[in-house]
Amino acid sequence: MNKYFLVGKNLVSEIFTYRLNFVMWRVRMILSLLTIYFLWSALIPEGRELFGYTNSSILTYIILVHLTYSFVVASRSYAVGEDIIQGNLSNFLLKPFNYFTYLFSKDVGDKFMNISLTVIELSILFVILKPPIFIQTDLLLLLLTALSILSGIGIMFFIYVLLGSIGFWSQEVWAPRFIFFTIILNFFTGFLFPLDILPKPIFDFIQFLPFSYLLYFPVKIYLGQMAIDQILMGTSISLFWVVVFHLLLKKVWTKGLQIYGAYGR
Amino acid sequence: MINKYFKVWWILTTKAAQIALESRFGSTMFILGKILRFAFLLIFIVIVATGAETIAGYDTWQVILFFATFNLIDSVPQFFFREVYRFRLYVVSGDFDYFLVKPLSPLFRSLFGGADILDSFTIIIAVVLLIVATSNINGVTVVGISIYIILIINAFLITTALHIFVLALGVITTEIDSALWIYKDLTAMGRFPIDIYKEPLRGFITFVVPIGIMISFPPMALLGFLSAQIILFAMAVGISIFLLSLKVWKFALRKYSSASS
Repeated sequence: MNKYFLVGKNLVSEIFTYRLNFVMWRVRMILSLLTIYFLWSALIPEGRELFGYTNSSILTYIILVHLTYSFVVASRSYAVGEDIIQGNLSNFLLKPFNYFTYLFSKDVGDKFMNISLTVIELSILFVILKPPIFIQTDLLLLLLTALSILSGIGIMFFIYVLLGSIGFWSQEVWAPRFIFFTIILNFFTGFLFPLDILPKPIFDFIQFLPFSYLLYFPVKIYLGQMAIDQILMGTSISLFWVVVFHLLLKKVWTKGLQIYGAYGR
Repeated sequence: MINKYFKVWWILTTKAAQIALESRFGSTMFILGKILRFAFLLIFIVIVATGAETIAGYDTWQVILFFATFNLIDSVPQFFFREVYRFRLYVVSGDFDYFLVKPLSPLFRSLFGGADILDSFTIIIAVVLLIVATSNINGVTVVGISIYIILIINAFLITTALHIFVLALGVITTEIDSALWIYKDLTAMGRFPIDIYKEPLRGFITFVVPIGIMISFPPMALLGFLSAQIILFAMAVGISIFLLSLKVWKFALRKYSSASS
């Protein structure tokens, strides 16, 4: 267990070594937050309601999505594809530890740094922008929010590794990743807007996909905008996807290792 | 002289296109991703602008005009200046030396070293959307369209200058990737009218990092919301930044140490 802790710790040290890259990444996240924040401030000024959201609830949603992003989406597991293509995977297969636990340990280190920086950034923005914010006090809802975030972390981890596993069959691992980041993450997770502003049939369909459980679902639970039966239904779908992706990854990884040529090594 | 430069550009562009299209799966996914992102953002804008009736005082077609202008100003430099994204490699490997010894402007070679054919699709879509949006807005005049075109040219001048600054930064620090991404994220703030941002952020992205002058001013001029003084000021900013970027580039060249070569 100690070795995995060291992997996470090393990742934190690596981030401190290449500070500029990480700081620039955080600057980009702040710019993205500011764009969405001010867009929604202009769309729903104080005293107005749109798509069932007030100024306070939409800004809380945007800020919490930003925070949840650091918990769920921040990751280093996207590098799996490069490990396979460049043959670096061989190093891990020969060593006495589990590659997936190694990846997840790196993710934990990355999430730790992103969450810490996000909290500092949001604190500064709170002082400057003074957004109206909703504090949830219901312990059960807070617990369910935490559970949904954990489930989202699981889904995200499996998606990253599955996308990287394409490297066993093709050099073009960046292309599906590009689609995932530019399309799926922006429009199907609730990052840019709450998904329930979409026309109902589209929203109903999206709820059966795994992506809404990454950002939208945890934040909506926190805001107390979901009935308990909706939360139970959503949690079941979310856990279903965790299991499906887990089984799929086992199958894909086994097949992939059978044809893995360790090129570049 | 111009013929020679055009010939070089054409040769580099055809080679770059061959490389880009060599991977059919990758290039298809790239184009598909860009088109889908464009389409989804457009749908999002239509949904929220229709629901809210106005965004910062602009109606749906006017907001679409801002969005189309952003895409045009974002895509054209990406089409022409793709080489800037590869420039770091030339500096750290020492290959930039070859740019310097050839009878061709190193700035031209670094900026225009092969257009990205994959971005041509987004330019076409942006132009079509621009025409559709303009034809749906009442009160657009020939004078407004002329000023719009002049300010678009001014925006290209500014974006060229910003890319030259990035190249100069690359020569001096060998680090340009982060600067490019920050530039992309800052320009992305211009997807929507700058009026949505509050001061001092609005002032910052209008005058300090002239995203507002680049992206929001042309549609505002088309809609008749800019005075003659502001238009002249915008053009003066464009020319000044461009001239300054040339000075910074010359300064950077003097600092080039030709490491790794």
